[in-house]
Amino acid sequence: MKLGQLLFSLILLIVSSGAHAGTTFVYCSEGSPTSFNPQITTDGTSNNASGHPIYNRLVEFKYGTTEIVPALAESWTVSPDGKTYTFKLRHGVKFGTTKYFTPTREFNADDVLFSVERQKDPSNAYHSVGGGNYEYFKAMEVDSLINTVKKIDSYTVEFKLNKPESPFIANLAMSFMSILSKEYADKLLKENKKEDIDNFPVGTGPFIFRSYEKDTMVRFEANPTYWQGAPKIDKLVFAITPDANVRYQKLKTGECHLIIEPAPADINSMRKDSNLKVMESAGLNVGYLAFNVKKKPYDNLDVRRAIYHALNRASYINAIYMGNAMIAKNPLPPTIWGYNDKAVDYDFNIEKAKALLAKAGFPNGFDAEIWTLPVTRPYNPNGKKMGEMMQADLAKVGIKVKLITYDWPTYLAKSRNGEHQMIQLGWTGDNGDPDNFLNVLLGCSGMTAGSNVAQWCQKDFNQKIVKAKTISDQAARTKLYIQAQEIFHDRTPWVPVAHAMIYRAMSNKVQGYKIDPLGGDIFREVYLQ
Amino acid sequence: METNQQKELSPFREFWHSFAQNRGAVIGLAVLTFFIAIGIFSPLLAPYSPSQLFEGTYRLPPAFTSGGNIKFFLGTDDVGRDILSRLIYGTSLSLGVGLMVVVVSLISGTILGLLAGYFEKHVDSTIMRLTDIIMALPSTLLAIVVAAILGPGLVNAVWAVSIVAIPNYIRLVRALVMAEKKRAYVTAAHAYGAGHIRIMLSEILPNCTAPIIVQATLGLSEGILNAAALGFLGLGAQPPTPEWGTMLADARPFMESSPWMVTFPGLSILLVVLALNLVGDGLRDALDPRLKK
Repeated sequence: MKLGQLLFSLILLIVSSGAHAGTTFVYCSEGSPTSFNPQITTDGTSNNASGHPIYNRLVEFKYGTTEIVPALAESWTVSPDGKTYTFKLRHGVKFGTTKYFTPTREFNADDVLFSVERQKDPSNAYHSVGGGNYEYFKAMEVDSLINTVKKIDSYTVEFKLNKPESPFIANLAMSFMSILSKEYADKLLKENKKEDIDNFPVGTGPFIFRSYEKDTMVRFEANPTYWQGAPKIDKLVFAITPDANVRYQKLKTGECHLIIEPAPADINSMRKDSNLKVMESAGLNVGYLAFNVKKKPYDNLDVRRAIYHALNRASYINAIYMGNAMIAKNPLPPTIWGYNDKAVDYDFNIEKAKALLAKAGFPNGFDAEIWTLPVTRPYNPNGKKMGEMMQADLAKVGIKVKLITYDWPTYLAKSRNGEHQMIQLGWTGDNGDPDNFLNVLLGCSGMTAGSNVAQWCQKDFNQKIVKAKTISDQAARTKLYIQAQEIFHDRTPWVPVAHAMIYRAMSNKVQGYKIDPLGGDIFREVYLQ
Repeated sequence: METNQQKELSPFREFWHSFAQNRGAVIGLAVLTFFIAIGIFSPLLAPYSPSQLFEGTYRLPPAFTSGGNIKFFLGTDDVGRDILSRLIYGTSLSLGVGLMVVVVSLISGTILGLLAGYFEKHVDSTIMRLTDIIMALPSTLLAIVVAAILGPGLVNAVWAVSIVAIPNYIRLVRALVMAEKKRAYVTAAHAYGAGHIRIMLSEILPNCTAPIIVQATLGLSEGILNAAALGFLGLGAQPPTPEWGTMLADARPFMESSPWMVTFPGLSILLVVLALNLVGDGLRDALDPRLKK
């Protein structure tokens, strides 16, 4: 049965690509999506398969940038106190027609209300569907921020906030604020098939969901009535291929047109291949080594600075990232506004490190543990190897390091509990706002949420970033963020290691693709030559 | 009298005589001796420390290919460590691990096998049912489970691989003991009033040594291979220990761009295991009277 299906789809593929050339686009993705609803997922893999192709938000990031542009909302106004946002919705937006649902009405305010209320209101019929845990909605503090959402008329929606918050619009552009169809939800409710809403999606996006086979493929078709004009490709296929080497082979043989995250070691041979092209972009990310400042001796500033001086980060960039990254000196990547370019990086200096250790009372070093990243992430392609290099560097100043690692979910869970001494982690920005880095990763509120793995709650630092959140003037916010980064630089709760480049390799027939600085793969404007 | 002396070779010379007839076994022994020598003298032979990082020399090809550097004869790995030095230090580790595995599994397996074969009945069925349970699980899977429970590390890997190897010894020794037990000399020892322990250790066991030695040699190669497999899965030696299986795993992402990184550790494992198997075969041929011409 499965083989038959596969054969049939292969024939279809061949036939359709023969009929009008380049209408099926195959993307080799890295894993299976966990669900087709970005409200309940947090991983990029799921987001690529749902948030971008199937859904839209009220506002969105302009393709290839972090600039906010109107989407399902045509325009919006903010009240003078910064607490009321009124959105004028777009007319004539149609939901996609699928095998399992045919919409009878266009998109309107009811859909916006439903999409927010499902996440916010525990009494909503859909709130507990799919686990009832809306991680992003909570982590971005949108749940406590939104007071009420009100329908003024069919095409006007008003959000009332509890306090002014300038990153709010950027948060609305994130995938978890995708707009689902209320009409579809009502239909499923009647049929008592509520769970289907997360697995058989209906959205306003450029592509329409067709089918999904776990660990094999996801299929989409172009939405002919898409409000920004139908995409230029007719069919979109995600061929799920976890191994980077296999993805490369598939790209070479033409089985896929574009692959996610090529192995850094293969980039050069890809560049030499005249049938392929490699695109790169400065990633909106940071890889770092965090100290658990609640544990001894990492509570001692001199120890932290000594380790900072002892690590030869330039050699990590060459060996681990193969030169495809830049040394980080701030927690913010330089591609984001508010970056403190004036910061003077701690130099690699063993003598200084030894002197600082002696001053801290550890002239002969001490025994330490570093947790090494168990998975390949955009900000760190090989945590284990980086750990070995850190181990060798720290041995030179007498710090004897033991490397420890766990599987990815355990690693995250244990680090949230603060069980580590030093830990490798990193972050890719979600919305292009500095708050998304500084507050989430280093703010006092991040300590309870677990994302602040340094367990670092510095009063003056926190004051600045909390204040920056409430003002909307970007120049004033920039000033506060630069001051906050200066405090970070002085107190060094982390050793920032690198800002990595992002790579995508594709057949040179692919046109119109742009790397999304936020890490997604978006095919709305892609076509084949 | 004179003719007698000429004909009767000492046991060792007799063994060597038949062992040397098997050319593969002799070559295996030579290779093995070579690796053992490297293992013993590794600190003298290795040009560098196995964990020394050379900045700027990442994934350098071997000296005898273009782009190589004579300072690093077999090239460097992805963080700039000399592969030759790591292989040399890895030799003593891999051989040591194999030896430890054999010692642990041989001693415990022989004791349990002796008990099972000698006492039979309840002792036998208890030990053999436990053995059956262990043997019912695929050996690598069992080693992974044990290593995962004990936590990653070289010593724990030795325990894991040893536990997997024990049933082989138990079954072998038990069968041998059961056959020997019925011999007249055992009955005679009984008649003279010898105790169980004396009969087991100084009467029966010495007559079972030849097959056990063969099994131990083959077990050595299996132990090295299993330890390398655990290392490959990240459950064996922890960084920066230059264990061969770990080196192999670390080099895997670079198979296409830097093939020498996987080639040399892989070749080392292959050579040692092959040599051990050849020696084991030769030993069996030389020690088993039934196979003698």
